[in-house]
Amino acid sequence: MEARIVNKGQLSELLDKLAKDYDLIAPIQEETVTLFRKISGAKDAFLEYTNSDISPKGCFLPQNEKTLSYMYTGDTLEIDKPEGAKKTVLFGARPCDIKAILTLDPVFEGEKFGDEYYSSKRESTVIIGLSCSKVLSTCFCYAFEGGPCDGTGSDLLFTEIGDKYYVEVNTEKGKALADAYSQIFSSQGADQLAKDKEELAKKLAGEFVRKVDLTGVKELLDKNFELAYWSGDDQKKCIGCGTCTYVCPTCHCFDIFDYTTGDFNGDRLRCWDSCMYPEYTLCAGGHNPRPTRKERVRNRFMHKLKYHLDRYNMVGCVGCGRCVKKCPVNIDITKIINDLKEVAQNA
Amino acid sequence: MPNTSPLTPYPVTITKIVDETSDVKTFTVVFDDPDIMENFGNLPGQVCMLSVFGEGESTISITSAPTRGKFLEFTVKRVGRLTNVLHQMEVGQKFGVRGPYGNWFPYDMMKGKDLFFVGGGFALAPIRSLIDFALSDQYRSDYGKVEVLYGARSMDDLCFKSDLAERWPKLHNTGIYTTIDRAEEAWKGHVGFVPSYVEEVAPSPENKIAIIAGPPIMIKFTLPVFAKLGFKDEQIITTLEMRMKCCLGKCGRCNIGSKFVCVDGPVFSLAQLNGMPKEY
Repeated sequence: MEARIVNKGQLSELLDKLAKDYDLIAPIQEETVTLFRKISGAKDAFLEYTNSDISPKGCFLPQNEKTLSYMYTGDTLEIDKPEGAKKTVLFGARPCDIKAILTLDPVFEGEKFGDEYYSSKRESTVIIGLSCSKVLSTCFCYAFEGGPCDGTGSDLLFTEIGDKYYVEVNTEKGKALADAYSQIFSSQGADQLAKDKEELAKKLAGEFVRKVDLTGVKELLDKNFELAYWSGDDQKKCIGCGTCTYVCPTCHCFDIFDYTTGDFNGDRLRCWDSCMYPEYTLCAGGHNPRPTRKERVRNRFMHKLKYHLDRYNMVGCVGCGRCVKKCPVNIDITKIINDLKEVAQNA
Repeated sequence: MPNTSPLTPYPVTITKIVDETSDVKTFTVVFDDPDIMENFGNLPGQVCMLSVFGEGESTISITSAPTRGKFLEFTVKRVGRLTNVLHQMEVGQKFGVRGPYGNWFPYDMMKGKDLFFVGGGFALAPIRSLIDFALSDQYRSDYGKVEVLYGARSMDDLCFKSDLAERWPKLHNTGIYTTIDRAEEAWKGHVGFVPSYVEEVAPSPENKIAIIAGPPIMIKFTLPVFAKLGFKDEQIITTLEMRMKCCLGKCGRCNIGSKFVCVDGPVFSLAQLNGMPKEY
């Protein structure tokens, strides 16, 4: 595998150039929230973050996205679709969030039905990952075979080593970008930093405080849909706010609705939705297959730990820890995993 | 190659509207683009997404059989915002359709067998496509006797009246049984609930497939009757409803366990359902 070096002093220059040549999406700070947005240059970027509050999944599945516009007069009906995506660079995505994008791919790039909106952004985006330099108390990516310096899914992976970034070139797309800015991406001395990166990865791997072991969990869920566990106090305390689903990098549920902007015309929008809301499954006649929080909480965790695996052979969680950190009533997927393990052992 | 633009609806024009009941209408539509109409390729049991611009989309089953001609029929009950606007539309007006989606009734597996249909309320709509498919000149010889047992709350709630009273009974080797829940002066037919009428008619399980669609309560009480008559779970087919937004297995909400009703269903055998969580 090829590697390059970028001096930290040259990062601003790189970001400014990328912003000029591409749509550049990078972490920014909005009040106290770190999230990914299109930036006009290095001055907007906020790189002093551990992990962003909101994941970069919106690069490919925006929170609100126009899928078409319509003009209907009663006699004539015209439907227009937005143009495809522009060439984009996503800079600074953490390894867990990049892995999350890989779990979204099979959902949107299905065998039978693709998704032009997702695929067009996915194809025209170069993903530049940024290794973590710190492990948070809520992190548990290792439980899903991830790691703070894991480049899986990235085109380029930057790892901070002293006053340099060690850059792993993981794809042809990444190589093309590095080659295009060869005055910044130096090939000299990259090999020496490879060892430093290995050591950093090893050091960080030892810093996880959350012990999460998935052994037996999937097997238990395969055999048991009805578990008394889902009616337990820990699950009942969910207030159905939906925060976990909005901050989750692998949640992909969406709603579709029309926004009328004139007498005859309007836009059709696709917006993030949440399985934690009762309306999510409420049928027109009033029937609701998941009428209470118990069913909705169960569905969310079953999706993460079983359903996504069944369908796509990929876990539906990447251990980013956002839902753990943001849940207002402290529902904790790592506790649920460990509890289920215990349930399995006692079964 | 996957269809990369599955969310794009195509304009259709309403060519006919039948008032089935006070709140159920059947819309006959044709695509404005003749190529789309020609190649739509819907099979009995599949569904479409109807776009009523300004309101959004709803999943509606295709009521017509592909054997009946190059058009689509949708039977729609007025229950919410979108269906309310749809019900105000007139012949000549347009809305959008995308599809066809979902699986279909296993009409190959049914070949050589008798078919016993059970429908309740306006839920005759999703199975009517298969009834007409099996009764079509093209495929009639593939199937044995075709029987339809249908019930509604009252005379006013009976859908597809002309099919039940005129079209189907006149066709070769059919049996049509219609019932209403409570007696009415003008009603000369059977009175009683669907499950008890099934028990009365007592179809034999021999070489027969039962296809059931109706409100959950009807299905709940009808399934034990079929079990008592000796039908095996593999011989009982039903079609499910769920709230859907994309119909492509992406928007997430219509799952029953790991299955999505929109792409893995809506048609399931009772044997399949028994292996799935009871969350529908």
